[in-house]
Amino acid sequence: MNEIEGRLNEEKKRLDAITAPEEFEARLRGALDAKPSRKPKHRSRYLMVAAVGLLCFMLIGYNYNAFAYYGKKLFGFDEVISETLQDLNEKGMGQIVDKKTTLIDGTELTIDGIMTDANQLIMYYTLSNPQGLKDTFSDIFNPDKVTGFLTNAHGGGGTAIINDSGKEVKGTLYFDPVSPFSRKLTLHFRQGVDNREGSVTFPYDPNKAMQTQIHQSIKETIKVDKGTLTFKTIKATPTSTVIEGKMDVVDYDRLHFGLEGVELIANGRSIQKLGYGVKSSFNGSKFDLRFDGLPAQLDSLELTVKEFIGYKELEEQIPLTSDEEIHFDLEGNDLWIKVVAATEKGIEVTFKTDGNVLLDGVSIKSGSRSTPLKTTIGHKLEKQGDGRIISERTMIFETKTMPDHLLVEGIYYVKQYNEQIEIPVH
Amino acid sequence: MDVVRLVKKAKRGSKEALMKLIMAEKDHMYRLAFTYMGNQHDAMDVLEEMIVRLYENIDQLKKEEAFYSWSKTILVNICKKTLRKQKKLVLIDEWHSSIENERIHLNTNSDDQMEIAEMLSILNENQKEAIKLKYFLDLDYQTIAEMTNVPLGTVKSRIYEALRKLKDHYGGEGNERDRGSIE
Repeated sequence: MNEIEGRLNEEKKRLDAITAPEEFEARLRGALDAKPSRKPKHRSRYLMVAAVGLLCFMLIGYNYNAFAYYGKKLFGFDEVISETLQDLNEKGMGQIVDKKTTLIDGTELTIDGIMTDANQLIMYYTLSNPQGLKDTFSDIFNPDKVTGFLTNAHGGGGTAIINDSGKEVKGTLYFDPVSPFSRKLTLHFRQGVDNREGSVTFPYDPNKAMQTQIHQSIKETIKVDKGTLTFKTIKATPTSTVIEGKMDVVDYDRLHFGLEGVELIANGRSIQKLGYGVKSSFNGSKFDLRFDGLPAQLDSLELTVKEFIGYKELEEQIPLTSDEEIHFDLEGNDLWIKVVAATEKGIEVTFKTDGNVLLDGVSIKSGSRSTPLKTTIGHKLEKQGDGRIISERTMIFETKTMPDHLLVEGIYYVKQYNEQIEIPVH
Repeated sequence: MDVVRLVKKAKRGSKEALMKLIMAEKDHMYRLAFTYMGNQHDAMDVLEEMIVRLYENIDQLKKEEAFYSWSKTILVNICKKTLRKQKKLVLIDEWHSSIENERIHLNTNSDDQMEIAEMLSILNENQKEAIKLKYFLDLDYQTIAEMTNVPLGTVKSRIYEALRKLKDHYGGEGNERDRGSIE
């Protein structure tokens, strides 16, 4: 065997040692269970005729308002929309707009259609240029907001995909909901490298907005280490579910974790999280959590604060005498101290923790003298093979004396709360 | 395990039978997904998509005994589609913040993986894929041909070409830099 094959073989051995992760079965089973059960196809011709008959009857007799919607599917957006939106698009639950305008660089912008409900406006658009589009198409087209009568809807993001030839972009944009009194809407955007303003106006029929499925109050408060979380209302529409509430938590933003640990569980299954926002005001902060649309048949609904920021007072004294890396357990969280060195900046202590652990009230002690932390530098995150993220950084203390102890008053960390709130569904 | 019997059950709509089939080969399936996606997170995502796709389409599988090669082909297709999408999909939030964004360095690869990735980086995508399937997953030419949907001869020549390139580039004993200085 030559050297190259030897190297390839080594890689094979390494890969052979990899086994499916523990959650393999649960994840696959979960994905499978989310699919409605499939009946084997044994349709006879007789049955087919009956089914068609029934469908016609339903279209005319029962579901006639489906004609109010565009009744057509918009093509080419499958890769930029969620399964829920794909489903609604298949059913034609939107409005065809098909309004075109030409941007200053010659690119044609088409607003293909919109979908609206009480939670948001979703816009489907296409950019096309036979000359080819730049990779950074934000230089060409930068959406801003949608305005109209009693409407000033800010953009909340979107996704887009460029086709293989690089000449067409298909995308979706998300905006705040629009007023049911608007008859015309205007999309405002910026274009070109000098960010020139542009707009396009198109008609809007508020009667075609989708109905809200659930809108009720929750009014439940959950205690966390440094305050409270209050969940106020839930508003579920076909495209998304929005939960609004108030947060009165000191230092909640010390960790980059926020409200990621809040889950919405419908019929025992977790609903996909689309994002969250926090707005601060002088008496606490307001937040909104966005999830995907709820299943049509809703039997149970539950909000779970699985994880949130926690705080633990420690008053821990860690000896810094060893030359080797030392490991400590801080309330179930790992802390490794790698290097303690005297440099021209002072004393530098390089250490590692889990990605979401922050030490609070840190100082070093040498005999009876203590020096508080000045700053932290060189933050590095490293993802381990098991998905765990380890954060490494260096603390700097303004002193020349080598310390004998590191003092930690407390830690912020991601704590398991597992608090549940049942939301009654009628 | 009686594959044919389980596939027939799965065709009649049994999710349990399908789970049994996949669980029996879970490490192989996982390694295949991992080889393409390069990390656990993405590998598990494509596997989830795979099982849903298998469940929805198992009616189309004519030969029950071919279940595994059929499902691996589907898995490979999902991997490739996802990789293509990852390359092309841009989040608008990223357009806006790309300049001031503080880039946090996420290091997913161990040193060994980096080295092997660097070594394979001189190959084109098709050659890389063929080498990985042949040498890392130990699959035979016929299986690779079926999974990647190309003729047997093409697979053979891709692997041959890839090995030749690697040998030319990395050579026998000396390393690249030494040779460079002689020339």
